[in-house]
Amino acid sequence: MKIASPIIVAVLVFVMGTNIVSAQDELKVSGELLSNQRVLLEDPNDWAWKENRLTIKLNKKISGDSKFYSEVWLRNIDLPMITSSADMYNKGTLDPYNLEVREAYVQLYGILSDNLDMKIGRQRITWGTADLLNPTDNLNPYDMEDVLDFGRHRGSDAFSFDYYFNSEFSIQGAFVPFFQPANTPIGMFSNALAPAMEMPPGLTLTGLTDQLMMPESNLAESSTAGIRFKGFVAGFDFSLSYLSGIDGIPVSTYNTFTPVDAMGGISINSQLSFYRNQIIGADLAGSIMGVGVWAEAATFLPEDDIVMTSDLSALYAMPAGTIVQDSIMLKKDAYTKYVVGADYTLSNGAYINVQYLHGFINERGSDALNDYFFVRVEKSFFDAKLKLSPINGGYIVSDWDDVENNHTLIYIPEITYMATDNAEISLTAGLFDGTGSNAFASFNDYDMLMFKFKYSF
Amino acid sequence: MKTQKISVFVSALFLLIGMNAYAQDAQVILKEMDKVMYSPKDMTGKTTIILIDKKGKEKTREANIIQKGTDRRIFRFTAPAAQAGIAVLSLPDDVMYMYMPAFGKERRISSSVKSQNFAGTDFSYDDMEAKPYSEKYTPKLISTEEAVFVLELVPLSKKSKYSKLIVKIDKENYTPTTMDYYDRGGRKVKEGTYTFVQVGEYWNAQEMSITDLKKKHSTKMLMSDVKYDQGFTDDEFTVRKLKQ
Repeated sequence: MKIASPIIVAVLVFVMGTNIVSAQDELKVSGELLSNQRVLLEDPNDWAWKENRLTIKLNKKISGDSKFYSEVWLRNIDLPMITSSADMYNKGTLDPYNLEVREAYVQLYGILSDNLDMKIGRQRITWGTADLLNPTDNLNPYDMEDVLDFGRHRGSDAFSFDYYFNSEFSIQGAFVPFFQPANTPIGMFSNALAPAMEMPPGLTLTGLTDQLMMPESNLAESSTAGIRFKGFVAGFDFSLSYLSGIDGIPVSTYNTFTPVDAMGGISINSQLSFYRNQIIGADLAGSIMGVGVWAEAATFLPEDDIVMTSDLSALYAMPAGTIVQDSIMLKKDAYTKYVVGADYTLSNGAYINVQYLHGFINERGSDALNDYFFVRVEKSFFDAKLKLSPINGGYIVSDWDDVENNHTLIYIPEITYMATDNAEISLTAGLFDGTGSNAFASFNDYDMLMFKFKYSF
Repeated sequence: MKTQKISVFVSALFLLIGMNAYAQDAQVILKEMDKVMYSPKDMTGKTTIILIDKKGKEKTREANIIQKGTDRRIFRFTAPAAQAGIAVLSLPDDVMYMYMPAFGKERRISSSVKSQNFAGTDFSYDDMEAKPYSEKYTPKLISTEEAVFVLELVPLSKKSKYSKLIVKIDKENYTPTTMDYYDRGGRKVKEGTYTFVQVGEYWNAQEMSITDLKKKHSTKMLMSDVKYDQGFTDDEFTVRKLKQ
């Protein structure tokens, strides 16, 4: 179970206190029950994902000019790790549930000035106009637990404000005092987004340990701050943003190689560090001849070259001095990730959404950015009770000079049935065919069937 | 020969004058209808939307509406739970935003969506638009019946999915009583009925019903808790308010 941060506790205390003083508007409780199950298509149909989640949302207008909102997940994920009979005495081990506070904040409207809104507490600060994949959306840490839930972020304990100059122009500022790293994929996808480790000839990796070097626990080292100017001109929404923050995915900066046998087997202890970026972003969205269009770009400026040092001293058994080898993991040079997309609804109700993305969430440096083409076509039938997405997926190219050996095709057809107004059942296939170094190429052996049941209340 | 030419000319002139008079009458009647429908400065209310499928099975949605003039409106669903919180902001010049709480951000609605049905109802986004009919259609008076005027409305926009609307307007209070929609092929595709009641000095569309004849699906909208002229400013109709 996670420990609630002091900010969340303060927010909850504030709300509970206010609840007693004032009850202008009733507390609204809503949420959903979700069962999300995936099995591999290949015999014997291993579980690829097993999740049961209860989402509780609390929403209360404390007065006319403030509100409290929270979203909490109570869930059971993956199969229990039972290793001995002693575990069978423990219901917490047999049937593990965890509590996750996704958001818990107070929002104040028209504070200090009629045009100023503030939000304090754990919050999701969404930036960008693209669909799910937003290169400018970097204030909150990525939640990469589910690799197929693109673009999911966790909430951050933060302070943010919006100042509205008028109905068309506004400025947003956000300050996240504590650094929170991204969380990585779990289960059989745990290594999906990790870079491949190349070993020198004759050496075999037999063990890997690592040590995470967190930023210093002070405002200067661990805080993130961003500002975004939003506007509406000539029928287009646009925004310009700047952010200074620590990248949530660590990089390997110091590797110590240790021989473990005479056959070339080695173990590596890797020191993983986080680094600070300046990120300049821009996005726009509008409509051209009935077609919804959007574009979004973020230029990343790492503060320094990221150097990985390999300590090979133990391999050469030289008592005096150390043998180290340096290589640059990420140059200080700026690199840009971007997305362009469009959507259109045909007269028969079919919805088409296409997107091109340059640079996935885990890719760093201009040479490492791959190209992603996504398309989704969906249409509803029987008074929107049934929704089919026969064309849904993507094509990824990681090397245009050798596409044949560096591409991945993802096909995710889906059928969704609204059993009642609040009960949604969906069946999805996830089929992957790829080769090369892109992250999704490693999904080749994981063709799967996904079942999801969601009930909203 | 000359007399004959003059006679044809005079007949044509009378016909033109007559047609113009009809057109003028139609325009006046339609503007009167607009005046009755859109005369409040602003309005708030709750709406219950009942969707009825061809087997008679009903589904209910609930929403709050706040509107100013004819071109600013926020429509916010309150039920069912799966849709609660979804809101649509309509602004002048066909600008529309949708707020989806699950994504935490607003999104512009492209104009291709506007001919689609709104949230599973038989009303399209266009049908829901509060823009005066006299600004969207060219009217023609087809007939005058005992209690109603019958007008044919031809859309000014070539993008409209309708070729015409036939509307019956109450002679006494200028409220619409029925409205039939014809597709581009000239087939009647939707039938609408309206019940207006007087609330204070205004006429309120207490019940609107529309049937999609092809799908045999109906939507009934019932308005309640209607309040007029509360003095809303344009600031109530912004993305800021949409997200609150």
